[in-house]
Amino acid sequence: MTPAAPAERLRVRLTVNGETVEREVEARRSLADLLRDDLGLTGTHVGCEHGVCGACTVLVDGRSARSCLLLAVQLPGARVTTIEGLTPPGGLSPLQEAFRACHAMQCGFCTPGMIVASTELLAATPAPDEAAIREALAGNLCMCTGYVNIVRAVIRAAAPGGRP
Amino acid sequence: MSEPGGRWVGAALPLKEDARFVAGRGRFLDDLGRPRLLHAAMLRSPHAHARIVRLDASAAAAMPGVLAVLTGADAAARSGPIRPLIPTTAAVPDYCLAVDRVRYVGEPIAAVAAVDRATAEDALERLRVEYEPLPAVVDPEAAMRAGAPLLYPELGTNVVWHDALTYGDVDGALARADGVLRERFAIQRYASTPLETFGAIAEYDPGTDAFEFWTNDQRPGLTISILAASLGVPQSRVRLHCPDIGGAFGNKRRPAYLLVCALLARATGRPVKWVEDRIENLTALMHACNGVMDVELAYRADGTLLALSVRDVADEGKNLLTPTQHNLIKLGNIANGYRIPAVRYEAWSVLTNKCPSGANRGIGKPFMCFAVERAMTLLARRLGLDPAELRLRNYVTADQMPYTTPTGAEYDSGDYPATLRRALERFDYAGWRAEQARARAAGRLLGIGIATSVEPAGTNLASYELVTGRRAASGSAEAAMVRVEPDGQVRVSLGDPSSGQGYETVVAQIVADELGVTPEAVSVARGFDSATTPWLYLSGNYSNKFSVTDVGAVVGAAARVRAKLLRIAAHRLEIDVGDLELRDGAAVVRGAPDRRLAIAELARTAYADVLGLPPGEDPGLEAHHIHQNPLARPVDADRRVRSQLVFANAAHCCLVEIDPRTGRIALRTYVVVHDCGRELNPLIVEGMVHGSTVHGIGAALLEEFRYDETGQLLTSTFMDYLKPTAADVPTIEVDRLEHPSPVTPLGAKGVGEGGSIPGPAAVANAVEDALAHLGVVVRSLPITPEQVWRWLGGS
Repeated sequence: MTPAAPAERLRVRLTVNGETVEREVEARRSLADLLRDDLGLTGTHVGCEHGVCGACTVLVDGRSARSCLLLAVQLPGARVTTIEGLTPPGGLSPLQEAFRACHAMQCGFCTPGMIVASTELLAATPAPDEAAIREALAGNLCMCTGYVNIVRAVIRAAAPGGRP
Repeated sequence: MSEPGGRWVGAALPLKEDARFVAGRGRFLDDLGRPRLLHAAMLRSPHAHARIVRLDASAAAAMPGVLAVLTGADAAARSGPIRPLIPTTAAVPDYCLAVDRVRYVGEPIAAVAAVDRATAEDALERLRVEYEPLPAVVDPEAAMRAGAPLLYPELGTNVVWHDALTYGDVDGALARADGVLRERFAIQRYASTPLETFGAIAEYDPGTDAFEFWTNDQRPGLTISILAASLGVPQSRVRLHCPDIGGAFGNKRRPAYLLVCALLARATGRPVKWVEDRIENLTALMHACNGVMDVELAYRADGTLLALSVRDVADEGKNLLTPTQHNLIKLGNIANGYRIPAVRYEAWSVLTNKCPSGANRGIGKPFMCFAVERAMTLLARRLGLDPAELRLRNYVTADQMPYTTPTGAEYDSGDYPATLRRALERFDYAGWRAEQARARAAGRLLGIGIATSVEPAGTNLASYELVTGRRAASGSAEAAMVRVEPDGQVRVSLGDPSSGQGYETVVAQIVADELGVTPEAVSVARGFDSATTPWLYLSGNYSNKFSVTDVGAVVGAAARVRAKLLRIAAHRLEIDVGDLELRDGAAVVRGAPDRRLAIAELARTAYADVLGLPPGEDPGLEAHHIHQNPLARPVDADRRVRSQLVFANAAHCCLVEIDPRTGRIALRTYVVVHDCGRELNPLIVEGMVHGSTVHGIGAALLEEFRYDETGQLLTSTFMDYLKPTAADVPTIEVDRLEHPSPVTPLGAKGVGEGGSIPGPAAVANAVEDALAHLGVVVRSLPITPEQVWRWLGGS
């Protein structure tokens, strides 16, 4: 198969936040580009574009992924969940409520990625201890909070039995 | 002043803005669009120093989808030079793009506007540039020597400023002292690297010859003046908006980039957006100055400090906008909370072929504190004193407040000894000292670090007179507007756009108390809009200034609205104003709570039924106020100046454990006790302390913009410029004292920098403490595992 030219437009069909999406996109465009520019889902933020900061974290088939490092066209049939998809209509999820109650942010730019990464953690480990939380969030940089209130928020949202 | 019955100031109220941030509903610069928007990309120098021999833009300009190419020559023809904040000897013309010479790796030399970002970036590859490389000067001390390569040959030197300021009998003290500790310290380049990068949208309206900007620039007042001057339009035709700002820390400012967008917008007739990528951010936006400091600390045998003499070299890179800023801030904070009768500060501000230096959380104070607190720790060791005891013997004490330092800073309130004692208690200092001895016997390396600092707030720009010899901008002030809308709800705007400080909540708390309403009834405008926000040249989100200028502006504006509400109510109720109070959303007669007029009803009078107003009263319920901090003064005849104002303070105690096999440094415990006066919202305050402290930890152990000898930056991604992650740092434990400032309207002080200032010193002191028995002295940062491993004998 001949590789696509960077600007070549290819058709991709995937599921974003439960909705089927079909778009023609340039081969070089990232999943973050598709989400933000084409679908208007600007809750996914782009902080480094080289896969370190974690601001662009989304769930792809239930696992956290860097949407800045994935090309949109490499995800046919994938199920993508963004912060918008994790936000219940008309309210906030318990995890989001915990982030707010603990003031687990300042500027709010890392927050969607942090919540996505925390969602993955709590799905696999409903009652993580502090060390497990810190390890799970080590791929998401926050320049504001020193992580203290983020860890508190995840503990607050975790199932009873999570140890501080 | 808030009434004693104020209910909201001081409450740990969850933040209004957090509700949108957790749902991804913040509105940041890159989330904004405009109709027919173009996207810009910038070509940047690969050389640290080179002459631009030729730049051919024809192939790029001919590319489909490219609407305009702007070169340095175009920029110089179509805009004026960028006006510096500090007009030093280095006031050479500096345009938004390099014209004939590049002076650091990453300096922009051309820009392209295209239909999308990818096309713009593709076009950069078709710009043909011929460079003639020149010798680069990377080390600031080398740059000071005769014969060094010059960034600006027309200046004849790389030294922007050199001066020696002496306060008191320093030479006499050095001669008479029982001893003098002499040491040399160095600090690296680092930055707070907000997670959102810098960016802007510029739009030009040829019909009115007006520009409109959307940007996450954190200092809009100053920026508007620079943009208008360079673009040759009056400030009345420059409108600037700030949306949510994703962190700033001093870094979010570069008028040149806004000018590039503006010139492209004018050339194309379409709005132009540019968002910095992370490599551009790390390579070219803003670094804290690196530098070296020679310290002489004269003392008596009992540890009493007699004099401090400092020789300070600040490496500005190619900073023409704010050179000497780091120097002046250090001067104002040189005493660091101690009684030091005599002080000398000799300073050099030096240009090199590196990224422009500029404001970064604490500006110069982290290095000043590092030098003083390292010297204090070394002195304690020399005298056989406990490092806490030496500090306690030298602090300015509570009964000496207000206290004026030799350089003219005024410590307004606080109890520095009590702050350290509380920190020692919370940390269990005695317990860890015992554990350290036991661990040492077992071959484990534990180290305890203590560092304390003062934390000023607000910058008095008059201090630049020390450099320029004349006063231009001066003082410290901010503007606010409070308006009760016709429906009785309250709207507030502020000249300082939040970049994570929670203004929408804390300002609502302040206004709620003033007007007797709930914070829910108060909507504080997001960000900034120069057409609707009151502002002045000094407006912006910088210098820790919220508590010492912004709060006064908000309180002042609210007080005017409050007085008018009461006058209208008194007239309507035919009662004396003094018999009324505002509470529960109404003007209420004291002692007769059934006699009341709701604020919504008073607003109806003010806006609709204006014949019901008291005689002579203007309609409307809106007030502006600019608060000027009263401590700011001009430079005095002895060259003393309050370069910063209103002093908070903090004490840090931390414990590290070093792995003797690998040199790995693990922070096990970190305690901060701080005093920022009255806490307006403790939830915000505590978060600031956490985050600021982790900035200090990053500077101590991880972060460094490392250049090679040719001026190439070796750490230009987050793969090699390392930031602290959640797994690298412990929970920062915070406790507080609360000595209200007597000079701010609500008694609050600054809180954003009290971690980043002493943090590097605290961690360095801990690492040295763990290795002191091996003769280790920490003289520079960051302290890497490799360095520790070498100290431990590795090779």
